[in-house]
Order: sequence, then structure tokens, then C-alpha cells
Amino acid sequence: MASQSLTLPFVGAAWRDRILDGLRDNTYVFALVLTVALIIANTAVLPAFASWSQVPSELGTLAPFALAAMASTPAILSGGGGIDLSIAPLMGLVNIILVTGLLSHGLGNPAIAVPLLLLLGGVIGAVNGVLVGVLRYPPVIATLAVYFVLGGIDLRLAPDPVSTNPNWTNQLASTLWHVPGTIFTVGVVLLLWFFFRRTAYYGALFAVGDDDVAAFASGVNASVVRIVAYTLGGVLAAVAGIALTGTIQSADVTVWPFYVLIALAAVALGGTALTGGRGGFLGPALGATCVYLIQNLLSALGIDVFYVQVAFGAVLLVAVVGGAFLGRTAQRPRGAG
Amino acid sequence: MTSVSANRAVLAAQDLQRRFPLLQLVALVALFVWGIVGLPAFATRPSIDSMLVLASFLGIAAVGQTIVILIGGIDLSIPNVITAGNLLTTLLGGKHWSFGEIVAAILGGAVVVGAANGFLAHHFRVPALIITLGSGSVVVGAVLAGTHASVYGSVPGWFTHFVSPASTVAGLHIPQVVLLWIVITLVVGVVMHLTGIGRRLYATGANERAAELSLVKTELVWVGAFAASAVFAATAGILLGAWSGTGEQAIGDPYLFLTIAAVIVGGTSLIGARGDYWRTVLGSLILIVLTTNLVGHSYSEATQQIILGLIILAAVGTYGRDRALRDRV
Repeated sequence: MASQSLTLPFVGAAWRDRILDGLRDNTYVFALVLTVALIIANTAVLPAFASWSQVPSELGTLAPFALAAMASTPAILSGGGGIDLSIAPLMGLVNIILVTGLLSHGLGNPAIAVPLLLLLGGVIGAVNGVLVGVLRYPPVIATLAVYFVLGGIDLRLAPDPVSTNPNWTNQLASTLWHVPGTIFTVGVVLLLWFFFRRTAYYGALFAVGDDDVAAFASGVNASVVRIVAYTLGGVLAAVAGIALTGTIQSADVTVWPFYVLIALAAVALGGTALTGGRGGFLGPALGATCVYLIQNLLSALGIDVFYVQVAFGAVLLVAVVGGAFLGRTAQRPRGAG
Repeated sequence: MTSVSANRAVLAAQDLQRRFPLLQLVALVALFVWGIVGLPAFATRPSIDSMLVLASFLGIAAVGQTIVILIGGIDLSIPNVITAGNLLTTLLGGKHWSFGEIVAAILGGAVVVGAANGFLAHHFRVPALIITLGSGSVVVGAVLAGTHASVYGSVPGWFTHFVSPASTVAGLHIPQVVLLWIVITLVVGVVMHLTGIGRRLYATGANERAAELSLVKTELVWVGAFAASAVFAATAGILLGAWSGTGEQAIGDPYLFLTIAAVIVGGTSLIGARGDYWRTVLGSLILIVLTTNLVGHSYSEATQQIILGLIILAAVGTYGRDRALRDRV
């Protein structure tokens, strides 16, 4: 980088710059380091944490966190203040429809249920996308309105918790074909993400997210890019809802509110800029893993559940302020002011 | 030709709406009439008094949300600060602190939290959404842990009376807390429109760089705005302590999105610098009168939420949309 020779003409400083640049370009590194440290800490406190019999169900509990965070990501990447507050109530809707509408009416076969639910998620995501991309509603407002509507529908469909008979979703939160079921939810989504990065749409998404006016002036159809981004978020929210059903094995309208803010926090913790145009899916997944591991560690230590909130908020603040601090040190020597 | 004059009429209407919350006033009157027609006891004094009391809780909690949205921020820590204020009011009251000491302690704490929010968000250029999400979690976690989530305690009898819809001011049939809300509204209005503080606030929200070049200390504006937000949230928490009589762990939760909804429905734009607190007062009244109507017609909470969502879309559709990209090139 240009800054090395200009301001810091020492070899040691050049190395320091290289490390700082690496951190800047791979914003998920903080979350990765924290994840590794927390896994070690969890195992030290409770050796059974890392035992093969425990891991699949732990991953099953983690899956809705990670998927909710990943579902929140495309809207954020698409820029323009992009955000999707309706992810969590959509997870709730998918959970409720799967349990009360499909599993209990003989439509529970995954070959029928999964495509139907993904379609539902996609349609609701597309509604968000049209509100933001075509009708030009500020994203916070559009998705807040959809949040209220979906939250109301959820409450209407399942005012009281409904438990379900044993079904295939349970395997997603335990083991399926001798491997943790989470591989078929979070794993598949992450795998698809790496293929997705090679598509032309990926470039357009980041161009619009970085500077929508410039992208529009270069001939990118920003409206379509944003509709697709919110649709993708909706589809992922449906996957999250299925994973949620796997771990709670019931339709419960009191569960989804928990994911509203946690998902956004996980995205930020994973180093994805909320201003759009930077980041990916790995960061949010790692951020969500940190949130889950912090909870797990403090409850294993028998610490008051309220300190979990304190620790979680403090880690979030340290992560975003630290990340922003790195960003500032990067910008100054480059003359950006 | 007709389409040209029609366009001109639309533009004139939009211009009027921008300067004066006409639609909101019409909506409020219409909702009120709907209540009078549809519900027998709607326009009785107890009913109106309790609507005003509920609107004043929401309105006071939303003062700060209005201010931070005007400078281009958002405050998600409001529900947590409300809950913290609520728990501490009843708990410290039970420990025989004097009322003045309690209020001073809570508002002092709120200033610290809010100032930290504004400083961190502005100084490190981190979205206020994330900073306030984190700080809110720390605050409510710390208060719950420190008080062991104790909901026991008490508030002075006069204070319970203060928020009671049946209370009076100097013989006038107006609940005392509503008078407090009116005073707050007047003070906020004067500060925002007639003082340098208000001009700095709007300048920062309109164009931060231009404000900075005009020697406005924008960081100080952010610190002050978020500190004010926390103070008003804490005030709402203290008042809700008197309303509920005991502490409640989740008492602030509905105010997370309700304060934002009050600001938006009132007509303050999330883009910044467009709007004022008068509009939020209208927004709070609209939401409360609407809810009262829906409850009166025994619509479920589920239906209420659905209608609230649709109303936000309809309201913002008329005035709050972003500019088209082709107009921004």
C-alpha cells in the first residue's frame, strides 16, 4: 500500500501495516479469533462441550442464529441504508406454517415442505425488495412495517405454542446421515455463497452497495439488484425458520423476537459494515457463533443470565469500535481525509 | 393540459404537507370521530384522560428518538433505558431514597449512557443503530444483574397520583403527567426552533460537512442529542414506575419500535433534518387513539400489529420516500 513508504519507512512498520491491512480486508478476523478463543474457553470449563455426542445439538442451537445473521446480510450489502428488520418475524412465520400447516396436514414431506417454505420466504423478501428498490421506501421503515404485519400474522396463526410430533426437522438439529444436520442448513448456505461469489450478480450487488448512484450511472439496474438482495434474504430467513423448527420442535410465537436484534448484532460483530458494499456471509456466521458461545460459556460458568447481556453488549461495542478504529488508521495516510 | 394543472395541485399539496402535518391532523380527527361513532364511552372524560396519559408516556419516550433521527441517527437503547429507569425508581423507592435523589441518580446515569452513545457513534463513525444496540444491552443487563431483577419496591403515593388519569391540576380536569408532557413539548419546541442549539441540530442533520465548515461542533451535537434521548427515555421509565407501581423487566420493550413509529407516522423523515417534535406529538396521539379504537372494537393484538404496519406504509408512502436514483446522478 502507498502508505508504507510515505509515512512509515521501516521494515517493522511495513509488517505492521501489512497485518493491519490484512485485518482490514478480512473484517471477519476478529470474530474468527474470538470464536476460537471461546471454543477453547467453553471446552476448558465444560469438557463435554467438544464431545461428539454434544456437537450436533450444539450446532443445531447455533444454526438459527447463524442463518438469521446471514439472512440479514444481503439487504445490508445492497447499501442505501439497507436493513431487513422483518427477518425474525419471517422465521417465526415459516416455523408456524411448517408446524401447524404442513407437518400436521400430511404435507410435511421435505420434498414438498421445503420448496413451499423457501418460496414463501422469497415472496415476502421480494415484497420488501419492491418497497425499497422500486417504491423507494427507506429500508428501516419498509421492513419495520413488514415486521409489524408478519408479527401480527404470526400471533394470529399461533396465539399459543403448538408442539409437533417427531419429524424430519429434528434431524437438522441433531444428526442426519451420520453427520451434524447443521451441515445441510448453514453448511449448504455457506457453500452456495462461495459459488455465488463468482456470479455477475455478486459484482452488481457490491457496486450498488458501495455507491448506488455511480452503479446506476454505469448502467446497473439498481432496483432489480435490491429486489434480488431482499428476496435472497427472505429465502435464507425461510431456511432459518426451518432450522429453528428443528431445534424447538414446536410452533412458538414467543421465540422469534429473540432473533430480531441478535441477527443485526451478529452481522456487525462479524465485521460487515452496516453502510453496505463490504462483507460476506462468513463474518455474520462467525459473529452469530460468538454470540452463541458467549451465552454458552457464561451459563456453563453459572453466571447470572443478566451478565450475558452485559458481556454481549460489551463485546459488540469493542468489536465495532475496534473495527472502525482500524478503518480510520487505514484512511488517513491514503489522503482520504 | 389537465394533467399539468393536476400535477401542479399535487405539488402544491406536497409542499403544504412538507411544511404542515395536514394529513396527520386529518387522520387524528378521523380516528377520533370513528371512536365517537363506534364506541359508546369513547368521548367520556375517563377515556380521553387515559388516552392522554398513555400518549404522554409514548410522547415523552419519543422526544429523544425525534432528536436523534433529525441528526441522522437512531436510538435503539430507549427501551433498555426505560426499563432501567423503571426498575431503579421502584427499587430505590423501596430503599427509602428521597424522590429527588432517585430522579437525580437515574437522570445522571442516563446522561452518561446517552453521551457515550453519541460520542462513540460520531467519533468512530459507527452506525448509531449498532452502538445503541450494544449499550442498551449493557445497561439493562447491568441494572437487572445489580438489582437481581427484583421487581419489589414502591413509589410515593403522590407520584402514583401524578400519572393517574383521574388526577387534576389546580382544579382543572387534566392529568398531571399530561401537563408535564405539554411543558416538555413547549420547551422542546422553543429550543428546537428559537435557539442556536436547535439551528445547530438541524444544520448537523441537513449536511454534517457543511455544518462542520460553519463551525458547528457536530460531535458535541451528537453527544448532546443522544444524552437528551437517554434522559427522556429514563424520564418515561420513571413515570412508568409510578404507573405500574412495581418494576417490570420488559416494560420498555414495546417502546423500541413504537417510538420510531410515532416519529415516522408524525412525519419526521429518517433522512434527517426534516420534521420536528410537534409532529411526533401528533404521531403519538394517532397511535394511541388508533389502538384505543382497535381495542374497543375488540380486535386482537395480532390485528392491531398488522394494521399498524399497513398504516406506517401508507403514511410514509405519501411523504417519506427517497429520491429516485436517476434524480441523484
